[in-house]
This record gives sequence, C-alpha cells and structure tokens, in this order.
Amino acid sequence: MRGFLAIYRRELGGIFMGPLAWTLLVIAYALQGLLFLVYLKTSQGDVDLALRFAFGESWAFWALAALFPPLLTMRMISEESRMGLLEYLLTAPVTDVAVVLGKFCAATTFMALVWSAGLLHALLVMRAGVTPDWGAVWGGWLGAVLVSGLFCATGLCASSFTNTPVVAAFGSIVAHLLIVILPLLGALTESEWIRAAIARVDVVDHHKASFLVGVVDSAYAGFFLVWTALFLFVATRSLEARRWR
Amino acid sequence: MRAVISVQQLTRTYGAHVALDSVSFEIGKGEVVGFLGPNGAGKTTTLRILAGYLPPTSGTARVAGFDVVRDSIEVRQRIGYLPESVPLYRELRVEEMLRFHARLHGMDRARTERRIGAVLEQVQLTERRRDLVGNLSRGLRQRAGLATALLPEPEVLILDEPTSGLDPIQRIEVRSLLQQLASHHTVIVSSHILPEIEAVCPRVIIVTKGRIAADGTREQLLKQLGDRSYVRLEAVVGPDVAKAKALLGSIAGVSEVLDKGRLGIHQCFDLVCSTDLREDAGAIAAARGWALRELSWRTPSLEQIFARIALGDGEALPSSALDGAQPAQAASAAPVELSPLVTLGPTTPTMPAKPPAPTKIVYNLNPFDAGAGRDLGKPKAVDAPKPPTNP
Repeated sequence: MRGFLAIYRRELGGIFMGPLAWTLLVIAYALQGLLFLVYLKTSQGDVDLALRFAFGESWAFWALAALFPPLLTMRMISEESRMGLLEYLLTAPVTDVAVVLGKFCAATTFMALVWSAGLLHALLVMRAGVTPDWGAVWGGWLGAVLVSGLFCATGLCASSFTNTPVVAAFGSIVAHLLIVILPLLGALTESEWIRAAIARVDVVDHHKASFLVGVVDSAYAGFFLVWTALFLFVATRSLEARRWR
Repeated sequence: MRAVISVQQLTRTYGAHVALDSVSFEIGKGEVVGFLGPNGAGKTTTLRILAGYLPPTSGTARVAGFDVVRDSIEVRQRIGYLPESVPLYRELRVEEMLRFHARLHGMDRARTERRIGAVLEQVQLTERRRDLVGNLSRGLRQRAGLATALLPEPEVLILDEPTSGLDPIQRIEVRSLLQQLASHHTVIVSSHILPEIEAVCPRVIIVTKGRIAADGTREQLLKQLGDRSYVRLEAVVGPDVAKAKALLGSIAGVSEVLDKGRLGIHQCFDLVCSTDLREDAGAIAAARGWALRELSWRTPSLEQIFARIALGDGEALPSSALDGAQPAQAASAAPVELSPLVTLGPTTPTMPAKPPAPTKIVYNLNPFDAGAGRDLGKPKAVDAPKPPTNP
C-alpha cells in the first residue's frame, strides 16, 4: 500500500485547509448540541435513550450522515481530474488502491470527528453525574463511523464517475437518501420477498439493531465493511478506467 | 550504450482516433531527446505512456528495463514526469508540495530535506519556498513543477511542453535549466516549437500524425532530409536565359540548375550543389558581365524540414508560418522546394491541397435589375454570371 499514508495526510490537510470543513464542523456540532438537549427532554432524562437518538435513532442523524460525506468526497477525484492532478498522482509511484483508500480514510476520519460530538455529550452528561452506558455510546459511535464510511465510499465512487463535483455530490446525495428511506419504501409493499430483500441491504436497520444498542456484532460490521469495500473497489476501477478513456 | 527507454510498435487509439501508430524508438542513458511535432501529433500520448499514466493499446514500452504496464510502479519510481498543465496542489506551499512528493516516493526525512534544499536551489525558488503554489506566476509554477519532478533524483526526466505558456525571458530560463539537467539525467522534452528543442536537445524525434517522421541529431536530419542545398543567383543575364542556365550548369559540382523565373530584368537561378559554389558562380557572372543582385548559399534549416514534414503529411500548418520561417523563399517556390520530400519519411507526404477559391458574392446594386422591390442589402446570386452589359 505504497503512498497510502502520504495521500491520507494530504487529503486530511486538504479537507481542513478549506473553509468547507470548518463550516460543516460548526454546523454539525451546533446542531447535535441543540438536538441533544431536545432528545434529553423527549426522553425525560433518560441519558441512554438520548444518546441513542444522537447516534442513529433520529432523523437528524441520518440527514447528517447522508449529506455530509458527499460534500467531502465530491471534489476528491472529479476536481483533481479536472485540474490534471490525477495525472500527477497516477504517475507517482503509488497504486490506485492507495489513492482511493487514502482519500476514503481522510473523509471517514472527518466524519468520525463529526460524530465525536456525541462522545462529548456523553462525557458532559457523566460530568453532570449520570454515567451513560459507555458500551452503547462507543458502539453507537463506531456504527455511525461505519455508516459514514459506507456513504463516503459511495460518494467517492460518484466522484470518480464524473468530472463535475456538483454532479458527484448530487448523485451521491440522492443515492444516500434512497438508501435511508429504503425501509420506508419496503414497508409500503405487500410482497414478502421484497421486504426480505430490503431487510438484507437495510443500512438503517443494520446500524440500529446492533451498534446502537452496544452490540458490536462481526456479522453487522462485516455488512458495512463489505459494502464499503465494494464501492471502493468500483471507485478504484473507475479511476483505472480513466486511463483508458 | 544501454537503452534506458525502449519503445516498440507502440500504438494507442482513442476510440476510432489513432493517436499513435506503431511507434518505435530507443533512448540511451544520458541522452537528451526532443519530441517535436505539431499539436495533436501524439507527443503527449507517447510521454503519458512512458510515464505509466496511459496504457498503450498495443506494443511495449520499457523504461530502465521495466515494462510500463506490468511494472508500472517500478517505472514511476524512476521517472520524473512533468505534464504540460503542471499539476500541483494550489493550496500547499512550495516546500509542502515537495515534501508530499517525497513521501509519495517513500524518501526518508533527512534525504527529503537535503533534496528539497538542492532542487529549490537548482530552480532558484529558495526565496519562494514558503509561498503558496497557487500564488506563483506561471513561470515560477513551472519551476516548482520541475523541482517536484527532480526531487527524487529520477533516472529519466519526462517534460511535456515545459516552455508552453511562458514569456520569452522565462523560456530562456527554463531552457538554461534544461541544459543544466541534461548532464545528470536522461531527458525527454516535447515541444511544438523547434528552437526550444534545437537549443537543448542534440537528438530530435519528429512526430506527425502518430508516426515518427524523422529521428536523429540535427546534422543527421539535415543530411537525411534536407540535402538539397543550393546557391541562389539573381542577376541581369540578358535575353538568352537558356544559355545562361547551361553555362551555370557547367560549373563542376552543380547537379541541377533551377530557373526560378524573372523579376523585372533580373533572372533568378538556383544551383543545386552539395558544397558552397558561390565563388564559381560569381566568377562566371563577373566574366559575363552580369549585374549581380543576389548570390547566396542556402542550406535548408531544421525549421524548414520540420515545416515540410508537418505540411507534407497534410498537417494544417498555415503557409504564412512557412513564409515567416523562411522569408527569403517566395511563396511560389515552395512547391518546388517540397518535391524532394516525396521519397522521404515512412509515409508518402502529399502536397497540401490548394485552398478553394473564395466564394464570390455578387452584390447587384441596380434597383431595376430584378424588380424594384428587391432587397438591395442581400446578394442577388452567388457566383452568378454577370449580366451582359450594353455596348
């Protein structure tokens, strides 16, 4: 995996050197902070329930998870291709896989930072005297990171398909919204096997049923990892295909 | 001499368009080679294949013994490639960019810092090392790009149009930089501007339409392609032109005398010969009492050869460019000049087609010609025969 670390570091630097990352962080932290207060009120002081809201039980979580990764990944390949930087990267002694993985990990790291707001809230709650279920908190955080990883991978994949960042962002946001509302669509049908099929690929449920309640099940982790790997694989291939165009 | 770069039967197509058509060449260690060709000739494609960016459609290319497709990483480790667009991260500082490049090449920290200092000194960017790449001017960015390419001390340096978009002073700077580099690396430079190549590269490969039209040193190319040097004589020779022509043809060493026509009272001849026979021709003129207007020794320049090759393959090089390169050549003489090339090059060059006669638009301003209601602003007919006029 030659050059992975160098690319990861540069991409992370690239994310934080622009104003976008800081804007997103401010929005995410302010929103999550405010919402956490709301969750606490709705749960009538049940800290664990409030944290569960913060890490996946609420719509706000899924909105952030669906919208943020495309904003981070949209420029990663498409813009570089337009600026000719891809020619630079792909003639440096690094593999295409390293390029894609480096970019992917940088975006996912940023998303991990976004979800750390929840950890912060748990810490604050503990300072206030109520000890949260730390297993569930870490599980929720890990699940959130895995979900964002998957969405970063699809975003990167979209970015590798086009030379226009906006198109990449739009495409992946639509895809993410579809993924998130898939269970709702599934509920509309009568057909049993469609529901079963949807349950197999239901990202929302895979997160809620395992990580959110503090169970890190390898099967559920595998679900996310495999899908992420698939999209990263497609992104790598698409990057490779650019050479042939 | 061991070949550092060896290219065999390289072909690359983009869809139906053939960008490279079975190109083969070898470049030895320490050679400095210029890739010359009009835009779209396949220079960039060749360089991209060598740099491991594009895979060839067929054929093989080896750099330092490694196949560019199979051992791509090994090849990329050994080359410094600078694309024409000079892609650098605009948001990084010059030294950060260099550090990133060093990390991609897996250089350790001590070597990185040492090399950064050295290359910045080499391209004279030491004072600007803290500047953002995005804030550098085109020329400085070019130098920063060169510094990046040079950083890992590559065996082979591949520079695609390193002087494009630079002002004349910057061109000279880049050129002198290239001359320095020539002693340490095997260098391939591409350009569509001949003087750039001529100034730096002893060996020139001329590419047109995806094929190699010529390959060799300046002298070889001249010998190979432009052996028709001649003495031009323009003088008042009197009424008997044929006799004068025969007389000039009798000079030992003159293989052919071309009658270039008459300008006023002056008759112009080209004496095709391989050595400078100005003195002999001048002696004849003096003996005959011809009033000389011009007596000059002309050898075709590389520029002419390049223009010929580019033109000969039907490349759309405007004739004004030719005239500009050789102002002494009358436009009417150009086809005669071109004829010897028919036997040259791998492809048979064809003469550029004569430009079609401009379409004639006849504005007939006679309001009684086709009814008074006719719109006078519009042409009556295109290429219409003139109506017979009254005697």
